Amino acid sequence: VSFGDEGCNLETGDQYNTTDLLDFRGCVYINVHFTFCPAQVPVLQRSNGPALSGLVTIATYLVREANRAELLGESAEHRAIVQQWLEYRVTKVDGCQKEDIKTILKDLNTYLEDKVYLAGNQFTLADTLMYYGIHHIIVDLAVQEKEKYVNVTRWFDHVQHYPGIRNHLPPVVVLKNRVYTGSHH
Amino acid sequence: MTKDGVQGAAEETDQAQSKKGLKKQQKEAEKAAKKAEKQAKLAADQQTTDEDDFAKDRYGVSPMVQSSQRLDRVLVRVQELTLEKSDQLIWVRARIHTSRAKGKQCFLVLRQQQFNVQALVAVGERASKQMVKFAANINKESIVDVEAVVRKVEQKIESCSQQDVELHVERIFVISQAEPRLPLQLEDCVRPEGEGDEDGRATVNQDTRLDNRVIDLRTTTSQAIFRLQSGVCQLFRDTLMNKGFVEIQTPKIISAASEGGANVFTVSYFKTSAYLAQSPQLYKQMCICADFDKVFCVGPVFRAEDSNTHRHLTEFVGLDIELAFNYHYHEVIESITDTMVQIFKGLRDKFQTEIQTVGKQFPSEPFKFLEPTLRLEYQEGVAMLREAGVEMGDEEDLSTPNEKLLGRLVKEKYDTDFYVLDKYPLAVRPFYTMPDPTDNKYSNSYDMFMRGEEILSGAQRIHDAQLLTERAIHHNIDLEKIKAYIDSFRFGAPPHGGGGIGLERVCMLYLGLHNVRQTSMFPRDPKRLTP
Repeated sequence: VSFGDEGCNLETGDQYNTTDLLDFRGCVYINVHFTFCPAQVPVLQRSNGPALSGLVTIATYLVREANRAELLGESAEHRAIVQQWLEYRVTKVDGCQKEDIKTILKDLNTYLEDKVYLAGNQFTLADTLMYYGIHHIIVDLAVQEKEKYVNVTRWFDHVQHYPGIRNHLPPVVVLKNRVYTGSHH
Repeated sequence: MTKDGVQGAAEETDQAQSKKGLKKQQKEAEKAAKKAEKQAKLAADQQTTDEDDFAKDRYGVSPMVQSSQRLDRVLVRVQELTLEKSDQLIWVRARIHTSRAKGKQCFLVLRQQQFNVQALVAVGERASKQMVKFAANINKESIVDVEAVVRKVEQKIESCSQQDVELHVERIFVISQAEPRLPLQLEDCVRPEGEGDEDGRATVNQDTRLDNRVIDLRTTTSQAIFRLQSGVCQLFRDTLMNKGFVEIQTPKIISAASEGGANVFTVSYFKTSAYLAQSPQLYKQMCICADFDKVFCVGPVFRAEDSNTHRHLTEFVGLDIELAFNYHYHEVIESITDTMVQIFKGLRDKFQTEIQTVGKQFPSEPFKFLEPTLRLEYQEGVAMLREAGVEMGDEEDLSTPNEKLLGRLVKEKYDTDFYVLDKYPLAVRPFYTMPDPTDNKYSNSYDMFMRGEEILSGAQRIHDAQLLTERAIHHNIDLEKIKAYIDSFRFGAPPHGGGGIGLERVCMLYLGLHNVRQTSMFPRDPKRLTP
């Protein structure tokens, strides 16, 4: 576990104290970033209770512990949508093959056409974990592909500018204007 | 079975057999009768054919033109069949593009290069039933001589280039017959890509076209493309002549590879070997040293590059320029860019018909350029790419995807499809490139781009034998092989520079096409040596 100005990073296999996390500025640990390691399931060892395993489980637990439950959704429906995207992250995005990337981007692009956030009208844990989940995909996209999946790019650019989110991840450049306007090439 | 039974059975069989036999006989008789009837009818028809064909002399297959007589007949161009010629009786020689019989009429579309016109053969005073039938059965692509009256039409004929008139045929003769089965259909050749898929109709793939190039070149699109290409050559020559350039011819069989040994074709030359010139570079420069001051040449260039891409050919036409300058190589850049701009303007002003024709099958944005031509420095280009998220080193060459992306960024920022990138890093340029005077990481060299693809690579050349030798050594080049080249600079050489463009690539990019084989009449690539 390492603490920075904006948050902390939990590496798989880390051990730490829940109270430490909560004390840190009273901010929630929404920066739960697990090193991309498809074979391993992250485990949170706790000093005052059983260990918790699973990305979504741990993230959700930390959010509640920090009294930031609004990041999980307000209404029942809202909460369901947040969970839906958390599940999408873990089942579809993590450990995906090269062939699946196109489908993921297409799904997200269609979904985000008329939405600012993944769930409802506010920032939620869904946005954070999806950002971390697809960062490695987006960072490798060519300008033309970023323009093709314009809604994903817009959402991604929005999230990466949120204070405390990007941390040590490299920023992805998003151009202000389209350069691929024609139909060819 | 009893004996009686057997006999009975036999009798029955006999009866059955005779019944069968009868039936068979009957059938055969019917068949014969029908056949006789048919034959009689044919004979009768034939008689009618011979008897009633009052138009016998007004149609048929002409004997092969062997120049037996010189007819003083004027053949009107299809392009000239307009309302002006209404009611005139004229002769036309064209190809049968399509023919469609409908009862007592036959509609033909006659085609001549980019132009076509509708023609009608109808049973009446001038044409007989047999003549209409003959016209309907002429094979497509056959060349015919047609005498007809030009008639105004009530409704515009949208599918033809000549929309206001149609021909009412009085005489039709086949001058050169085409075989009935064509290797490809011309309508399929000009069909735009998307359209084919939707209606389930075919488009023709490139290899098939190239294998049957003679027919493919007859299409309106091909005719337009190569007329435009001819225009590019002419504009290139005219512009440079007007600037006081001299056209030169350089040898294509040479003793040493000019651009490096890897991509050169070897030919056997009597008891030794020689090479096919990869560019006229050496000779252009020698002409400058021989005081021709400003020269250009148009000729084949041979590159043995095993690249199977949309923009590489093993043989293409190079349009090369070289000129001496007074004090700064930017004088050269200005001369070249001005020439290019004159070509673009000439095409825009005099070849709109061709540009529109090509655009029907291959739609694209019109070509945009600025005056004066946009010139960016290499470092600026790198900065623009980095701003867009590309990671590259200061002295790194531009990869093709980065060139294309930079083209897009430049288009978005400056609204031009044509620009110059100046001051390339020295490390990625040929040994004869003049280094920059202040920063030896860079050079006095430039590339020019159309729609994000490179069309010209040029530079100020080293005109000092000493420096040239140093640079050659630095590039590990065998000095023996380029002795003659270095010698040309030993006896006073003016500062000079130049560049060369590929004719096919320039045409392809001007028209917004996507494969250089479309702008090469009989293209050569690693996989194609014929036609």
